[in-house]
Amino acid sequence: MKSPGLLLALPTALIVLLLGFVPLIVILVWSFWTWDPATYWIRPEFSLAGYAAILEAGRWSVILGSLGKAFLTAAICVVIGYPAAMAVHFLASRRTALLLMALFTIPFFTSYMIRAFSWRLVLGRNGLINGWLMDLGIVDQPLDWLLFSNFAVNVGLVASYLPFVIFPLILSMQRVEPSLLAASQDLGAGFWRTFRSVLLPLTQAGIFAGFLFVFVMAAGSATEVQMLGGAAASMISVMINDVMRVVNFPLAFAISTLVLIILFGLIFIGNRLFKLTSLFEGFTW
Amino acid sequence: MVAGFESRPLKAAIWLMTAIGLAIIYLPPLYLVAVSFNPALQPALPPLSDISLTWYFALAKERTLISALQESLLVATITALVATGLALLSALAYMDLGKWRSRWFMFVLLPMFVPGIIQGLSLSVIFGRIGLKPFWGTVAASHLLWALPFAFTVILTSMAAVRRSYLLAASDLGASWWRQLVDVTLPLIKPGLVAAFIFSFLLSLNEFGRAFYLVGRQNTLPLAMFGKMNSGASPTIYALSGSIFLASILAVSFVLLAAQAKDRKLR
Repeated sequence: MKSPGLLLALPTALIVLLLGFVPLIVILVWSFWTWDPATYWIRPEFSLAGYAAILEAGRWSVILGSLGKAFLTAAICVVIGYPAAMAVHFLASRRTALLLMALFTIPFFTSYMIRAFSWRLVLGRNGLINGWLMDLGIVDQPLDWLLFSNFAVNVGLVASYLPFVIFPLILSMQRVEPSLLAASQDLGAGFWRTFRSVLLPLTQAGIFAGFLFVFVMAAGSATEVQMLGGAAASMISVMINDVMRVVNFPLAFAISTLVLIILFGLIFIGNRLFKLTSLFEGFTW
Repeated sequence: MVAGFESRPLKAAIWLMTAIGLAIIYLPPLYLVAVSFNPALQPALPPLSDISLTWYFALAKERTLISALQESLLVATITALVATGLALLSALAYMDLGKWRSRWFMFVLLPMFVPGIIQGLSLSVIFGRIGLKPFWGTVAASHLLWALPFAFTVILTSMAAVRRSYLLAASDLGASWWRQLVDVTLPLIKPGLVAAFIFSFLLSLNEFGRAFYLVGRQNTLPLAMFGKMNSGASPTIYALSGSIFLASILAVSFVLLAAQAKDRKLR
């Protein structure tokens, strides 16, 4: 008997369209509406004021700053995540590999807010790190820039989104034929030569996918900057909250439109270039 | 071990980076858990003789947090039920979609990349337009799109246990599509369904940004906790954060251990 293939897809397709994609259309349409600063009312009259306001009040620099933080976070996550994925795939015994994969899976399902909050105890004036530094006599005053600073935000972002880089990397390493590495070694190449000429090129889809996941999650994040950032620190999501205090939907949605175009543009280009979805086709534990 | 990884310093360097990664993820929240057992007001590691559950008992008196917890448990249960059901249907559809598979996968996955604040705000506009007042259902609606991609991937992975030959054999014996599903596929992917439910539940319970514009009169737990964390944190918030963090770890560990036990039996 024939299976009802497309019918099965229907409920999910409807829900994702209604809850996921229709709101995106609202964002786009309302971003061109008119906002009256005297009454905080919005009218469905065409206006580019929302987009023009992105250029005011330092909003542009918040957007660039957020993308910069996201880029730095993604780069650091690749640098830490690549060796970690190598440990899981190439070095660890089966038991250890399973344990490591479990340890990198768990954080997906814990609270980002609690994890960011816990850095306050580590980085604060009376925190763990300042305590160590003073005990060791490295500093005699607690360091103030550790917490409520860009440094703290970046540390929090790396801690939050590191797991997102690990799994694409492991998946891409699983697709590397081990005999290629052995052949490279037989031909006299040392580790670094093999790494540069064989392993790195063959895992570039995983590197790009992992980088992209972290970048997108970090660019849209709010918790880390709210918990760990300084008084004036902002991030795209926090800025949208600020704009919504005066119910300026057109501006909030103009910012959203711009950000979504950037994020989804990157995802689509990445998918074109690196066939990201093919990474997940053989997905197994 | 694969050729090329024999050098000891190299192996040490790789393991060191792995340890750094794990330390960044786990040390701060575990330190917070340890601090939560310190009866002193100043956050620090408790001396072994002073370990106390003071702040955990104090939690019982936090009315706002408890009603927020109840609201979050309700939202998480609804989210997990719907996400698991939809993910099962989506995974069954995936099996039948042939060359459309990767597009379908992307379609279900994409909403998770919309920043939570933006998604919540735009959904609140839609719900406002159709005259739906914010309540636990509107929060669950936003959590659904966040949980669905994870539930979908987990169930899809568990589908690997369903060999094509099993279904063909069932079909040869006269089983209808429905009988094949109920008697062959579902029993084989049951661990995947349980995992999808638990994962979706946790994702909803711990989700913060999406609910911001969608909660009604009753806050969800993360929103209530956010308020407490930023108003001169009383140590009870450490106890609550610690408990939620540990409970999440235990639940995921349970899922992963069960999956592994099943895996060993099949071997």
